[in-house]
Amino acid sequence: MKGTVGKACVVVAALLSLVMAGSAGFAAETIKVGVLLPLTGSMAKFGEIEKRSFDMAVEEINAKGGVNGKKIELLFEDDTGKPDVGRSGIEKLISREKVPVITGGYASSVVAAAAPVAQQFKVPFVICTGATDDVTEKGYDYVFRVNPTASEYPNAVKSFLREVATDVKTIALLYENTAFGQSSSKSFEKDAKELGLKIIVKEGYQAGAIDFKPILTKVKAANPDMIYMVSYVMDASLLMRQSKELRINPKMFVGGGAGFTLPEFAKSAGDAADGVYSATLWVDTLPFPGAKQYSDNFRKKFGSETEYHGAEAYATMYVVADALKRAKSITPKDIRDALTKTDMKTAFGPVKFISYGKKTQQNKLDTYMVQWQKGELEGVWPKNAATKKFIYPTPPWDKRK
Amino acid sequence: MDVFLQTLVAGILKGGLYALIGIGMTLIMGVMGIINLAHGQLMMLAMYVTFVLNTMGVDPYFSLFVAMPLLFLLGVAIQKFLLNPLIKADTILPENQVLMTVGIGMALTEIVRFIFSSDYKYITSTYSNQTFFLGNISFSMALTIAFGIAIAFTIAMFFFLVKTDLGRSIRATAQDKDAATLMGVNTGRITVITFGLGSGLVAAAGCLLAPVYYIFPDLGGPFTAKAFIITILGGLGSTVGAIFGGVTLGLAESLGATYFGMEYEDIIGLTIFVLVLLFLPGGFKRLTKV
Amino acid sequence: MKKNLLPLAVVALVAALPLVMKDNYYLHLMILFMMWVVIGSAWNLIAGYTGQVSFGDAAFFGCGAYTAGLLAYHLGVSTWWGLALGGFTAVAVGLPFGWICFRMRGAYFALATLALNEVLRHGATIAEKFTGGMVGILIMPSFTSKAPYYYIALAMAVASLASLQWVVRSKPGYYFVSIREDQDAAESLGINTHFYKMLSLAYAAFWTGIAGALYMNYMGFIDPHVVFNLHDISIMAILVGIVGGVGTVYGPAVGAFVMVAVQEMFRSGFFGLFKWLGAVSGSDSLVRVAAVLTQAHVLGFGILVVVVILFLPNGIVGDWPKIRKRVFRLDARA
Repeated sequence: MKGTVGKACVVVAALLSLVMAGSAGFAAETIKVGVLLPLTGSMAKFGEIEKRSFDMAVEEINAKGGVNGKKIELLFEDDTGKPDVGRSGIEKLISREKVPVITGGYASSVVAAAAPVAQQFKVPFVICTGATDDVTEKGYDYVFRVNPTASEYPNAVKSFLREVATDVKTIALLYENTAFGQSSSKSFEKDAKELGLKIIVKEGYQAGAIDFKPILTKVKAANPDMIYMVSYVMDASLLMRQSKELRINPKMFVGGGAGFTLPEFAKSAGDAADGVYSATLWVDTLPFPGAKQYSDNFRKKFGSETEYHGAEAYATMYVVADALKRAKSITPKDIRDALTKTDMKTAFGPVKFISYGKKTQQNKLDTYMVQWQKGELEGVWPKNAATKKFIYPTPPWDKRK
Repeated sequence: MDVFLQTLVAGILKGGLYALIGIGMTLIMGVMGIINLAHGQLMMLAMYVTFVLNTMGVDPYFSLFVAMPLLFLLGVAIQKFLLNPLIKADTILPENQVLMTVGIGMALTEIVRFIFSSDYKYITSTYSNQTFFLGNISFSMALTIAFGIAIAFTIAMFFFLVKTDLGRSIRATAQDKDAATLMGVNTGRITVITFGLGSGLVAAAGCLLAPVYYIFPDLGGPFTAKAFIITILGGLGSTVGAIFGGVTLGLAESLGATYFGMEYEDIIGLTIFVLVLLFLPGGFKRLTKV
Repeated sequence: MKKNLLPLAVVALVAALPLVMKDNYYLHLMILFMMWVVIGSAWNLIAGYTGQVSFGDAAFFGCGAYTAGLLAYHLGVSTWWGLALGGFTAVAVGLPFGWICFRMRGAYFALATLALNEVLRHGATIAEKFTGGMVGILIMPSFTSKAPYYYIALAMAVASLASLQWVVRSKPGYYFVSIREDQDAAESLGINTHFYKMLSLAYAAFWTGIAGALYMNYMGFIDPHVVFNLHDISIMAILVGIVGGVGTVYGPAVGAFVMVAVQEMFRSGFFGLFKWLGAVSGSDSLVRVAAVLTQAHVLGFGILVVVVILFLPNGIVGDWPKIRKRVFRLDARA
């Protein structure tokens, strides 16, 4: 009977060695690009939107001849939303798959853990979504970022406050206790000081809370002119629903995070979402080449809506392909050099990696403000991006139709 | 003053719901001494059942009649096939049961994630956002109804445990399993039924929570923690204790959120938990008699 | 001496591995495995030998990790000092932790440790100015190559196993077991059970803290959710111990290997085997199986936990005779 075990071991060993050999042997006329995304776990939904956008972009690029005749092949690594898994994922891409360039990067904490690895191994990492500021403030010359950082999200809100809502003097700031929430709130505090506005309530909360009434009651009593919330979609929904229940009436409700722009927010909050503003990075009505087509094609192909994360992924793929075309050779160093010279227009906006403030190799983009009006998300600020006029101040709950 | 009153109301209403989550666990822990770390996941399942029924047009409150029996049966199955075998196993540490519930909880979460994905699901119903006002204080309709139902269940459980044969058998098993067996109680069956009951009760909490919260596979964990806090606060096996424990926790969280900061909400609950474990080991039950 | 032959041979093999295998991916898995040997063995002493099943070991892991991290964050000092200090900070936290929790027994003790674990996690998240909050602490790892980390982890694993073996055979070791078997009887025999329980916890905290400090140095990024994590660290430590076999010296080592391997196996779909088979054979269904496996990797893991607990309640090492009989069809006598 020992024989059976022995035979089983031989078979397993043989299979294993085949696998190890096989995974090394896929040479082909393709250029491999590594993509780090949360394909499973709690952020899988966005991982899916970005994966689909990357795939769509690659299809289009390959159909038009690829990179100087060679096709691009995407190798996805699942970071499951956890920084340590992301770190080993990016290592796998670098040392095992030996990709010459990596992109993706959704969660701030994953990006924070993965970027130093790319820097250490000198493989260019082109971030498309992770927004925590410090990743492009460390002088990593192999890390590039296409999307604005967390501190830049509210830029349009700031200009709106300066030019339109000049009667806003006090702010209540509510934020989720995550990397994004904490860094956004810190930078927004600085912004408020710049604008001479007073933050009269500042509260962090654990995402997933059931009941915001205690804190909202405090906010109501403080009577701020503006309530700024950095929340993910369902917290955002509950915040608005409970604000309505308590009849809180500031001059404006503003969302500073991804949650407020998603369709789920409006669907689950119902009419409590009406009039809510949000900072956003992109809407498909912006005058960028291919923006509307991307949105329409995505809807046609997958039967669901895309949003700014997808646009980031889509555009970043084009950025990577563009650098690959210009690179002297398909090696990390040459691709990196080509990336530094990027200067192009994409569906997400213009892309050029520059240095400003503490940041290096960061793309500098405008951000926008949208507002939910009767269940539709409309661009309202700045004027050149607006599809509808903003409704300011927000009418009190009991005066609405 | 308004702030204080509103916070009070929010805490009490929330507490009713918490109590319902706790009743199930206090039964299970009281009778079998099993730490059920999958309690929150059972509630999560009930919420998904409510969601599915809602997409077919069924009102969440009617889902109670479907989810509770379903979860009762699931609880029975879990106890019978996965937990009972462990009691007989000869191990160095008795904590295997707890780990088994961890594994079960993990499996339940992932099965649900597989079927429904991680997307947040929500229920739209007419009373989800409805409120009524007493003076300046807003009362959430859904939570008030939940509070009422929680009290009703508590009273029902109380009478069940005190007045019916099955209830008395459960209490006997909780007090001393061996003596109960000697007295002719089929303790094997009792443990299975109790786990089922506990699951059914937490399912009710899920159905009532669904309209005011949202649904996703990972929501179980924090609620399991709350269930423990309530169970320990109220005393193992005490249904009336569960109400006190639930309301106490709800109030502590609300008052803490308003006066200390919402970040501290969870820590407050956990601190109370440890303090009760240290200084009032029997829970409120010690102070009352049931 | 003969009893130690097998473990020594394994250590030699493991030590030689980086010389033949350069694949960073597998070296990384090995480093994780060795880290879990340390954590699992530490938990084994307090739980397996002393009978106090702690559900909160992440508290110690996090302390060690943050000791290392905060040295860099606030003082600009190298995180390697964390290896020296992390164990002691963890013990410092472990003492009040134990003082609170040891007043209770069994299930209540377990719950209390769980609660304190969570208190520390929430605390670290809220104390943004001190810990960096959820933004976390980010450093550039000192070495590009895995080899230094590999050998440090190996040294730690070997040291922790050796010290465990030594402790288990010592007088305190026997007292620990007597506390596990019957605390009241031990007390009535004149054993200061409170002191020995604390001693056991201090040992566990020390080693787990050092493992945490290693994590900070190796991974380069920590935040409260990662290092104070209930499921990924505390419960994983318990699983490592239980799957391997509590109350045995080498049980957790085996458990660590199995858990790390199985977890990664599920996550990568058997290391890409199915995907490769599907690509090579052109079979669509095999590719789909691969996709399903990777999607459901945590589920597979959870089911495995359930199965192991049902059939191998004493772990792989503890139930080894049973395994020999059933799986390998070897008679127990052979």
